[in-house]
Amino acid sequence: MGSPPLFYNWSSKIIPWLGITTLVLLSLGIYWGLFVSPIDYKQGDVYRILYIHVPSAILGESIFIFMAICGFINVIWRAKISGMMLKAAAPIGMSFTLLVLVTGSVWGKPTWGTWWVWDARLTSTLILFFIYAALIGLHSTIEDKTKADRAVSILSIVGVAIIPVIKKSVDWWQTLHQPSTFTITSSPSMSPEMYLPLLICLLGFYMFFAFSLTLNLRNEVLDRERSKAWVKQNFNS
Amino acid sequence: MSNSIFGWLTIILRRDLLIAFRRSATYITPLIFFLIVVTFFPLALGPQESLLSSLAPGVIWIATLLASLLAVESIFSEDFRDGTLDNFFISLEPSFVLVFAKVLIHWLITGLPIMAASIIAAIVLYLPFDSFLPILLSLILGTSFMSLLGALGAALSLGKSAILSAIIVLPFSIPTLLMGTSVITSSINSQDYFGFLMIMGAMLAIGIPLLCLLTVEALLLNYD
Amino acid sequence: MLPNLKVENLSCVRSEKAIFENLNFDVFPGQNIEIIGSNGSGKTTLLRAILGLIRPENGTIRWLDDDNNFNEYRTYDCFYQGHQLGIKNLLTVFENLNLTHNAKGLKKEKIYKCLERVGLSNINDLASSLSVGQRKRISIARWLLKDFKIYFIDEPFSALDDEATNLIERLIIELNTEGCSFVMTGHRPSQVNASRIEI
Repeated sequence: MGSPPLFYNWSSKIIPWLGITTLVLLSLGIYWGLFVSPIDYKQGDVYRILYIHVPSAILGESIFIFMAICGFINVIWRAKISGMMLKAAAPIGMSFTLLVLVTGSVWGKPTWGTWWVWDARLTSTLILFFIYAALIGLHSTIEDKTKADRAVSILSIVGVAIIPVIKKSVDWWQTLHQPSTFTITSSPSMSPEMYLPLLICLLGFYMFFAFSLTLNLRNEVLDRERSKAWVKQNFNS
Repeated sequence: MSNSIFGWLTIILRRDLLIAFRRSATYITPLIFFLIVVTFFPLALGPQESLLSSLAPGVIWIATLLASLLAVESIFSEDFRDGTLDNFFISLEPSFVLVFAKVLIHWLITGLPIMAASIIAAIVLYLPFDSFLPILLSLILGTSFMSLLGALGAALSLGKSAILSAIIVLPFSIPTLLMGTSVITSSINSQDYFGFLMIMGAMLAIGIPLLCLLTVEALLLNYD
Repeated sequence: MLPNLKVENLSCVRSEKAIFENLNFDVFPGQNIEIIGSNGSGKTTLLRAILGLIRPENGTIRWLDDDNNFNEYRTYDCFYQGHQLGIKNLLTVFENLNLTHNAKGLKKEKIYKCLERVGLSNINDLASSLSVGQRKRISIARWLLKDFKIYFIDEPFSALDDEATNLIERLIIELNTEGCSFVMTGHRPSQVNASRIEI
């Protein structure tokens, strides 16, 4: 997997599978969540935005952790593919973080009566969004791609410090935002009819991330190896 | 002493402080900038005492962050351009110490003048006398952390526009801003502010080794 | 006699292009090596790779230590001078020498002596008032601060008048007899007695 042509050939085999699982999981989870699962007795139908909001929040954070791990590997072992992964994952993570902020506002308006409050969780998610922007901005200013990867790797290692702050913000500070939906240590506070579709949605989102990451990474590999023989062979014949 | 790393540290410190001393703009510019930004708030918001004193913690911290970012670009740029940095890395001395010395110098020429000016700012923004100590304490920790972050930003954007390093550094400075203003606000409301100071201290304690090492790595990028 | 430095199979690739490949040479005490190449041929990259500023793609660099073993790390100081001379305009001639890392723990007299050997007498002038030739002399005075085993000098003879050229040539011969070696770069072969590598 380490060598670009090997990755390219291997990934063309798994892409259809990733695509199909994403499609199946997401359509099942979203259909179940939006149409089948019971109405929330306090919030009514509004709560159903949770099936988009919560998975994208988790994705926005986990993609950053994924990027920091890639960055760490890239800084220590100079593995080129991990740098490319970091680069490929950044826009996906940023989009999910934007999605959390947007769905959060849409959810906040009917339930809290306002689009935005300056509370700990919202603000720290906004910071995460800015950090994604800083990483992508830094990458685009450095001409040499390998160098840019390493610069962004270094910055992502610093940035990962924000993740525990976001995670814990609802417990540490008093906030309008409800506590975490998912916890490993205790059983879910929701009924299983609501919880299960959420779990399926989350898996679907993860699969979607894997799918789009692979697509992005393939583009990145082709772009960087454009002068190599194997790329020319693949595309000229 | 001369053979330990302190000998090396003192050589860098003496050299850079001498240069900074002879080019007075390096330490006066952040100071003036800080005071100008602080002055803008009463001019823009009107001179009501209650309004200004309630906004003062935020005003002081925003001015501090902006002023300490002002000189960030110059931390490594001159040494990089004239080849001094190459020699630092090639010597057998630990490059970690070099970065630490550079951070210390940046703090001495920006953080320290800003701390002095913050007392003036606190007086003209009608903050009570009791809040001066927490202001200074939070600024010591906060400006040092900003210098560390600034060094990383400067190393990553070496040879590029100065605004880039500001954009890299600003999102990461938000926790400092939040903690710093919380210290001052809680002291005004006569609440306990020690917890916030401890978090700032912890950030600094983790930041010194981690950020210095990452800055070394970022500086070496510029040679590839 | 053992070489102070062994360069084996050194290759460097930058932005998908090989800068130099499979370079082999040894640096013996008192021996000079001159790397000849046109602009952009990777002479500076080679010096930086040897000194560990950048990681080469391939090959090893091994340094002799006090116990006559070869290691991948260096145990003694080397002198490196790049294109830029690292002279600070706002420091005096004396301070420019005294406040470099190689001057750590040196006595003032030693520094006066170094300046004397390169013929600089205006030691309390700010470097901003010096001519190009005088600035070059400050950088040459730095060669004499310590006993370096190997000197890595990037284009020592570029943009020099005859007098300074003579000074450098004389110093190189002097330092060679003391067992120091020079690894230099240049566009064309210089007058110095050296084995030449073209890249």
